[in-house]
Amino acid sequence: MTDVLIVGAGLAGLFAAALAARRGAAVTLITQGRGGLGIGHGCIDIWSAGVLERALPHLPDNHPYRRATISSLRSALTQLDGMLSPSGLRLSGSLARNLRLPTPAGQLHPTAFALTAQAQADPLTGEDFTLATIDAFRDFSLALASHNLRQLGAPPASLLELPMVGLPTRRDAYSTDLARCLDDSSLRAETFRAWKPRVLGIRRLGLPAVLGLQSHPVVMADLEDRLGLQVFEIPTLPPSVPGLRIEAALRADAQRHGALIIEGPHVIGRVSGASNGKRAAGVVAHTAGGPHVYNADRVLLATGGVLHGGLVTLPTGRVQESVFDLPVVHNTQRQTWTSPQIGGRQAYATFGVAVDHQMRPRALDGGPVLENLYAAGGLLAGADRTREGSRQGIDLATAYRAVEAALA
Amino acid sequence: MPGLSTQLLVIGGGATGLGIALDAVLRGIKTVLVDKSDLGQGTSGRYHGLLHSGGRYVISDPVSAADCARENRVLRKLAPSAIEDTGGLFVSVPTDPQDFPDRWLAACHANGVPAQEISPKSALKREPLLNPRITRAFAVQDASLDSFDLLHLLSAAVQSHGGQVWPRCRVESLMLEDGRVTGAVVRSLIGDDLIVVGAELTINAAGPWAGAIADLAGLQIPIALGKGTMLAMATRLVNTVVNRCKPPADGDIFVPVGTVSVLGTTDVLVRDAESLSIDPWEIDLLLAEGELLVPTLPTHRPLRAWAGVRPLYRPPTQSAQETRTLPRAHTLLDHQALHGLPGMISVFGGKLTTYRLMAEQAIDLACQHLHVQSACLTAQTPLEAGTSLHYLARRHARLEDPAHHRFSADVVCECELITRSDLEHAITQAASDDLDDIRRDLRLGMGPCQAAFCGYRAAGLARSLATQAPVDGGLAPFLAERWRGIRPLGWGQMLRQLELSRRFSQELLGLPTVEEDSA
Amino acid sequence: MTAPGLSADLCLKCNICTAACPVAAVTDLFPGPKAVGPQAERYRQPGAGSVDASVTWCSGCGTCTRVCPHGVQVAEMNILAKAQAARGHIPLRDQFMSRPEWLGRFGSPLAPLANFALSQPLLRLALERLLGIARHAPMPPFSHTTLRRRQRARLVRTPEQVARAATTVAFYHGCSANYYEPQLAETAIAVLEHLGCSVIIPPQVCCGLPLQSNGLLRAARLQARSNIRSLSPFAKAGIPIVGTSTSCTLSLKHDYQNILGLEGEDAAVLAESTFDIFEFLAFRLRSTLDQAILHEVTARALYHPPCQLKSHFMGLPALPVLRRIPELDLHLSEAECCGIAGTYGLKKEKYRVARDVGEGLFAQARRLNVDCIITDSETCRWWIARHTALPAFHPVQILAQSLRLS
Repeated sequence: MTDVLIVGAGLAGLFAAALAARRGAAVTLITQGRGGLGIGHGCIDIWSAGVLERALPHLPDNHPYRRATISSLRSALTQLDGMLSPSGLRLSGSLARNLRLPTPAGQLHPTAFALTAQAQADPLTGEDFTLATIDAFRDFSLALASHNLRQLGAPPASLLELPMVGLPTRRDAYSTDLARCLDDSSLRAETFRAWKPRVLGIRRLGLPAVLGLQSHPVVMADLEDRLGLQVFEIPTLPPSVPGLRIEAALRADAQRHGALIIEGPHVIGRVSGASNGKRAAGVVAHTAGGPHVYNADRVLLATGGVLHGGLVTLPTGRVQESVFDLPVVHNTQRQTWTSPQIGGRQAYATFGVAVDHQMRPRALDGGPVLENLYAAGGLLAGADRTREGSRQGIDLATAYRAVEAALA
Repeated sequence: MPGLSTQLLVIGGGATGLGIALDAVLRGIKTVLVDKSDLGQGTSGRYHGLLHSGGRYVISDPVSAADCARENRVLRKLAPSAIEDTGGLFVSVPTDPQDFPDRWLAACHANGVPAQEISPKSALKREPLLNPRITRAFAVQDASLDSFDLLHLLSAAVQSHGGQVWPRCRVESLMLEDGRVTGAVVRSLIGDDLIVVGAELTINAAGPWAGAIADLAGLQIPIALGKGTMLAMATRLVNTVVNRCKPPADGDIFVPVGTVSVLGTTDVLVRDAESLSIDPWEIDLLLAEGELLVPTLPTHRPLRAWAGVRPLYRPPTQSAQETRTLPRAHTLLDHQALHGLPGMISVFGGKLTTYRLMAEQAIDLACQHLHVQSACLTAQTPLEAGTSLHYLARRHARLEDPAHHRFSADVVCECELITRSDLEHAITQAASDDLDDIRRDLRLGMGPCQAAFCGYRAAGLARSLATQAPVDGGLAPFLAERWRGIRPLGWGQMLRQLELSRRFSQELLGLPTVEEDSA
Repeated sequence: MTAPGLSADLCLKCNICTAACPVAAVTDLFPGPKAVGPQAERYRQPGAGSVDASVTWCSGCGTCTRVCPHGVQVAEMNILAKAQAARGHIPLRDQFMSRPEWLGRFGSPLAPLANFALSQPLLRLALERLLGIARHAPMPPFSHTTLRRRQRARLVRTPEQVARAATTVAFYHGCSANYYEPQLAETAIAVLEHLGCSVIIPPQVCCGLPLQSNGLLRAARLQARSNIRSLSPFAKAGIPIVGTSTSCTLSLKHDYQNILGLEGEDAAVLAESTFDIFEFLAFRLRSTLDQAILHEVTARALYHPPCQLKSHFMGLPALPVLRRIPELDLHLSEAECCGIAGTYGLKKEKYRVARDVGEGLFAQARRLNVDCIITDSETCRWWIARHTALPAFHPVQILAQSLRLS
């Protein structure tokens, strides 16, 4: 019998699966596909304006951080470290001060934690650096990455275009192609041999984040050994190699601790007939042949918001939660859902499911919709995570709190 | 102030202006054309994509219909690469007036519009997504016309015959001497210089801005602006132009345009051509009407919405309110005859399909004023040498060429299959840093992802190639423009696309946020 | 426009499928599932040849559809595009390889002679030169007697002939179990009977998947209709159809309707009533299996879930069972696909790519120094065994051993 059934394989879902499995629960994770880690920047955004602890008391009561509490966030971060380290990945940063990391457009992105290879970019002005890209790699522009940095007072000392051995020639290369070339030890050796004469005299080098997918720690060590360079990574257009590294590490950790992962089906929630409509029985999954019932003691929805299907938005103005049809906080005037500007406040980004302090979706009367149903991550209402710079922090804090409450 | 003298100054670089300029240069008239923006940013660049068979107006405006039918045949010879011969259908759905089709067919025959009845079954065979309950169907010679391609061909032809085409030159004032218009003072928007253009005759072909230009000469012209909203579905749901066989109204045409299909249109009176808003009722109406043609429409993805403004002639007798019933035929105003102001003619209205005819009539009149004896040559002068393929056919040919390994490497816009070399060429040729101009040339960012990926790539190329490019390579305004066109469809699929673009822009690229609320 | 083709609308171009594609990861001849799938789909015109010839490098493993968060049926779209691209010029080799039933009918009576011949390097070289069948690709040995002949007593033509419908299971053996591995089928049947089922063998033909994969859609539909006709009566009578070949069962469940476009109640009922054997154990015989005593099987094994198993979208039902077996030191494969992908790896021009796709898996087996491979698909077993020189078992064989069924 499954103790905890988790729906969704984004950061919230995978983290929850690994956490619950480490706590000895029998975990099944069902997901329609792979989540947002593969398309993001690979960092842990917690509160871009600064220190969350200071901002927290001023946040509305229904804000996911208020529901989950900062202690959940802290515990989650500690747990996350433990989940990533078997794969050789380490996070650097702190809750006290944001890192300011260069973006592919030459801006500086405030974030709390990042894999060490990325975090090493902060402070950018700490030491002279050269910015480089790989020949003909279209998903990272040296021009865009460098020009704006000048305006921000953190100019690169020089720019460089480096070759890479083993790249596709008959089609365009994606970031994952570059990363896989570096994973291969003999291709990597040839590439670094070709780089050696070009990086003479350079001590610090910024590169697009392609420094290995499966063997990132080995690639980094090799780079520092052979070329005597300190290197930092800058994220690229998707696929996000740092995001995929984190995703792979979390999957492996969850599975290592016994979690079962089912990929593919869309699921519909089931309410237990015997419970007077008070308990979730599990879900029905639309498998290749037909519906299969998956029962569980507790269900945790980590299905995301409008992007990944946790919320379905209709032209009539209705917004639906896609598994249990839970009440969704939203407005029905669809022309107000977006701002005229891409950089503006977007009302749709705050839509979602309201939860109590146990991360259980709330009914109109304030009580939980179902006693054993929990929600975490982008599905929750009350936060425009892009604008706040709180995406991954909310994923982690709410997933932690939900698992804690579920297993209590 | 620098300046020059010419015989003819044409104001407006849409199909009207460029058609007029070409007719003029072919008759040996020295011509300069100016447009305040990039070519085709007015009505011509925002239209439905339809090369009319004439069927639509055969009852309401038979003159216009007959003109369309004739010009349709002419244009196919002049600019074959801009035209995809999709053919057209007129169909009746059960709720359409069932007595209309016979009258319509008779009117087609009477006005030289080729039309042939076919069985609903064969219509459905041709277009499997059509409403299975259509009652009547007729085949006509509609086609899909790419206006950007056409305008490029026209502009190149004008210049190859010695004419000058100056985009991004805005008319600041008209010169008036001794009670006649003697040209204009234009400001170049690149470099900000003022230039005097003296001309024996000025033709106001400024489309929706024709009233503003006339105003510079102290004239009021009877022009009404009818906004039409259109929306593109992300895929070619139909491969033929499909019209509803009923009196023309909103939302009753569905046109395949390249890889998308366009539903249109509405007709709303507006005061000016700037800041056109698209209202939810227009989108809902277009989708509801479209659903009558393609019942599965709600399951397909709408991609983008935009509005164009039709400059329409408002006869003195017509009511001030609505624009749907204003005549569609073009209007030629000889200001010498009408207002005692020689030196200027205004031309507006009409369909893009009849641009050539409109230009012929305008230059016939111009010749009188310029005392030039010359016959129109545009009908027999193709705009391109040899046979060229329509862009979609060119894409297919490249995709299917096994020796080419698809496109081999270097695709920058994956949705529309635009290569790095295409883009580099366009960037180095372009006079502006506006990626939106490149978009009009190449279709950059016009596919399903709406520049989420190629915007960054193209901006990177622009920044590395063009020293005058803005620091972000023009990325921010380009993304802003794409955002604008998706917003009216901001639910479901397109809301997902907006969210993805937003995440890239704000989280990954770190582009600045703005202090502004929704709506 | 096909139904999978219409799902191209759902694509946001996010590249998650491209990142996961095992073929794009090893060759630049394949631009990735997104490029040949939803991206190229917008250029496909009815009646015209398929665009983007590089779709032929798609192996049909289904990883793309499975990882897509938006519901794009990328793999299905690509399979149909491949068929359209191949129309009119399907090589003789593909016509052969798509019909394992003919091969079996011909080869089985001639085993062991046929097996001996196919193991001869010179003959394999000739086959590669003449027909394009990769000489290093494994050709499984024919069994001299077919499953159907050995289990004559279980053959049943209609559900009315079945005595105890409530606990009866209809076994779909497919070509592999009938002509190549009848003992595997018998082991599976023994396990089912041990857990309280009575097993019959209904009338059936080749599932048609190889025909579908090689672009012979019309022929594939003939197979499909035949199976729907003979098997749906059993399904309607409440007798589930269970198989050990994950690709065959996926065809019955999914491909008939979603790729071949066959509609109707019979196809739907058949789909819902078809199970992979461990899926059946997990969903229908759960309590019986939970109560069964599992004895130790001392071995170090690498379990590789086949790509088609994952495409059933019901997880890895054999995994928790294998984990319960004492002394079985079980490791889980990290690979999305072993490379064979049905008939893909058998083709001379595709062999290298297929081998590269599987290299990570083979390396993992070497690194872990395992005693054997466990995998649910027969083609995976033969392929992985060939490239690791390790014995390969279906998980039901391990379960049978654990249950001490001789």
